[in-house]
This record gives sequence, C-alpha cells and structure tokens, in this order.
Amino acid sequence: MKKRSLGTRLEQFTDGDVAISVQDLHKSFRLPTEHAGGLKQAIFNRLRGIRGYRDQRVLEGINLEIKKGEFVGIVGRNGSGKSTLLKTLAGIYYPEKGNIVIDGTLVPFIELGVGFNPELTGRENVYLNGALLGFSNEEMDEMYDEIWKFAELEKFQNQKLKNYSSGMQVRLAFSIAIRAKGDILLLDEVLAVGDAAFQQKCNDYFKSLHGNQTVVLVTHTMENVRKFCDRAILIDAGKVKLDGDPNEVADAYTALWK
Amino acid sequence: MSIPRVLNKKNRILLKELTKTDFKLRYQGSVLGYMWALLRPLMMFAILYVVFSKILRFGDEIPYYPVYLLCGTTMWSFFTECTSQGIQAMVSRGDLIRKISFPKYIVVVSSTLTAVINMLINLFVVIIFALISGVTPSLTWLLVPLSLLELYLLSLGIAFLLGAINVKYRDITSIWDVCIQALFYAVPIIYPISMVMNASPLAAKVILLNPIAQAIQDIRHNLITPVSATTWETIGCFWLQILPIVLIVVLLILAALYFRKKSKFFAEEI
Repeated sequence: MKKRSLGTRLEQFTDGDVAISVQDLHKSFRLPTEHAGGLKQAIFNRLRGIRGYRDQRVLEGINLEIKKGEFVGIVGRNGSGKSTLLKTLAGIYYPEKGNIVIDGTLVPFIELGVGFNPELTGRENVYLNGALLGFSNEEMDEMYDEIWKFAELEKFQNQKLKNYSSGMQVRLAFSIAIRAKGDILLLDEVLAVGDAAFQQKCNDYFKSLHGNQTVVLVTHTMENVRKFCDRAILIDAGKVKLDGDPNEVADAYTALWK
Repeated sequence: MSIPRVLNKKNRILLKELTKTDFKLRYQGSVLGYMWALLRPLMMFAILYVVFSKILRFGDEIPYYPVYLLCGTTMWSFFTECTSQGIQAMVSRGDLIRKISFPKYIVVVSSTLTAVINMLINLFVVIIFALISGVTPSLTWLLVPLSLLELYLLSLGIAFLLGAINVKYRDITSIWDVCIQALFYAVPIIYPISMVMNASPLAAKVILLNPIAQAIQDIRHNLITPVSATTWETIGCFWLQILPIVLIVVLLILAALYFRKKSKFFAEEI
C-alpha cells in the first residue's frame, strides 16, 4: 500500500493577531472499491496487486486566514468539504498536505452531546460530556446547577438519558457545550436547537460571543450568516470559492442553485 | 509525544471519566449489578473445580489445589477480559473518535482498567480463600504486584497491536477469540505443570516460556504454594529465563509505535 504523505498541524500560543492560518490544505479519503472490509479481501487484493481503494479528494488546496476575535461563517453545499475542513482544523483528521497553524486553545463542537450514553443518568452524562470537553469534576461541580437551569431540565437530573425526548437531550448538550471556554470555537451546525423560547436563548448566546471570541461556524442557514458573521467563506468542490462580506457570500451561496 | 503531554490534566480527567463509565455500563441493568464481577469468576471456578479436582483428580499432588485453581482462573479471566476489551475499545468508542480530537490510547487504557478493577476485587477473594484454606501469608506476597504488572503490560501490548488492526479488519476480534481458546490449554491453569513435566520435560519448558504461563505460575508460587513450579526453577539458561520478559517489552514497544502511527487515521477509517 502506498505510504500516505502527511501535512502539518501546529498549535501555538503567541501574541500575533492571526487565530487560524491554513495553507494549501489537501485531504482525501481512501474509500474501499470492493467490499474490502475483511482480512481475506485485503490479503487477496495485496496478492493480486490491486489497491482495493480509491482516493476520494475532498479538500483541494484550501487557503484561509482567520483573525483573532473574528466571527467567520463557512458555507457550502453538502459534500463540498466544509465539515472535513472543520474536522481537520479540530485535529480529528490529519492533513494530507499543507499546513495548519492554530494560535490559542481550540474548542470544537462537531456534534452536540458527544459520548452521551442512553443508559446513564442525566447527571452522569453531564460529567462525562464535561470531561470530554476538558472540565475536571470540580469545575463541573461549580457549573452543574447553571447547566440544568439553562437547559430548563432540573427535574430530570436523575433520569436515564433514554427517557429524555430528543429535544431535551439536545438542550442539555447545548447547555454543557456553551460552558466551554477557549480562544477559538469551532461550531458545526449547532444553532437551531429546541423550541422557539430556547432558540432565543441560543441566539442571545451567539450574540454575546460576537466581538469577544474567535468563532468559526459551519452552517446552511444564511440568516445566521447575515446576522452573526463578520466574514463568510464559501467552499465549493474542496476549494475556497468566495471569501469576504457575509451578505455577498450568502447571496453567492443562494445563487448556486439558480 | 513527551511524557507531560501524555499525562496532562485533560487526558487524566478523560481517562478517569471513561473508566468510570465503562465500569458503570458493564453491569448496567442487571439485578445483581457489580456482584457479577465476583460471581462470574467464582462460577467458572466452581465448574472447573468439580470437573478437574473431583472427577479428573488433577490436583492431588498440589497443596491447596482449589485456591491454586481459583487464582489461576482469576488471572486468566483478567488476561482475556483485558485483551478482548482492549481490542474492541477503538470500535466501541468510534463515536468519540469521529467527533473529538484526543489521544486514542486513552480509550484502550480506560477499557482495560475496568478489567484491572475486576481483577483486584477477585484477587481479594482469592486471598480470603487462601487464608481460609490455611495458606500462611509470607513475604513473597510482596512480589505478586510485579507479576500482575507484567501480565497487564502484556495484555496492553496485545490490545494496542490488535486493536489498531481491528479498526480496519474486524476479523481480528473473532481470530482472537479462537486464540484465547487455544491459549487456555497451552497455559497450565487447570492442569498442574508437573503433569506435563512427567510426560515430557521439554514440553513443560516450552510451556513455561510463554509469558502468560510464566506470570501466572509466579503469582501462584509466591501467593499460594512454592510447589508451583516457575520458569526460573525449570529453565536453567539465563537467556531463556528472561525470554518471557523480553517478549513482553518488545511487544509493548512495537505495539505502541504501530498504534501511534495508525491512530492518525482511526477517525476516518473506523
């Protein structure tokens, strides 16, 4: 099997004004061509000199720079590579080629409620999810009541999570997520949760971030791009297609369908 | 990867929480709960005891044979649980690996720590049984933790190596199940090593070169009865004596390097 090349991802802490810098970022995935999930097939392929996979190119030379304190929206169609970009920034995927430099602590929310387990109680899940975000037990103790109050779920603390409605689960997850403090927040499509009243709370939270915090938000909702973002980036077919004013980018995104 | 980074605060918290969760979930929804951690090995022991001590009369020449057997099965269960859980760990925690960035070894270690906790509980029972049966505590008991550590490091090495392969080729889980079945008979747990010695001294020596056999025999030798033959007594050559330890160290180093290399792609392959 061909050895994969690797790009670099560097985390640093400096006084510079650039939070995220991405140069010529490439990423592709190896997709099995046949049903190559088994050992037999793998050995068979190797013996016959078949690769057994093909490269699916997802990111093809992304360049971007995000300044400290900026609220940047990333938009694009399904499959354009924006989630892959976010996951590569977050360090979940390794860059295949190119460089990423992150300046400051990075808190990614690729999904709400990572690690939530239906068999555990709400309380246990809060501590587990908190640990995944890097909070110690003591820190969680301190913000524990606040989390439940914000989620408006105080009565259900000792219920198993499987007895929660999906809306309740998301509300709880969101309440924990917003406690996370970092220099840079990466958010993947987590804005619209809960009912109208809860959405209002979420909107207030995002407004409070504006100007105080570096935020990278991946979204399909152009309303949010126009409302919250200082800048927006349109990704298409693994490349940056447009980078600039949120209104212009939102228009260009809508125009993709016309 | 430097040591301070491996053991930084965030990773420690994560390791602790994941271990706690694993342990809680293991017995979730069962009426007896944590009691099963004790009951399962005791039941396995009861079966083996009836078959091998009462019917086949394997243990006639070994003092305290029932405790000797219990100690062996406890350590064997520890090894199988540790490796099986460790190999499965990456796959069963795939949700985390796909969604957050953290050192992947934490998942493997946390899942094997549950087995360590179980083993310690069971060891406590073994010691109580030993005292009841009339085994006198001795200073050699202090050597037991060393052998436990050795057994744990071996399990960890296997878990890292096979766990990393298992991410892509899930066949490993099934293959390992078969290996465990075979290994069970290759290690002197139910039969005393003296039985093999009488039939073929060479076979006994080969069996004792297996790190699992060496560790378990050492534990029984130091904890229960010096009659239990060890690798050190049976094999004369120094280089052969340390072979089990060398095997473990080499395996652990290779496994850790392989795991570290492969872990970069776990998130996309799982």
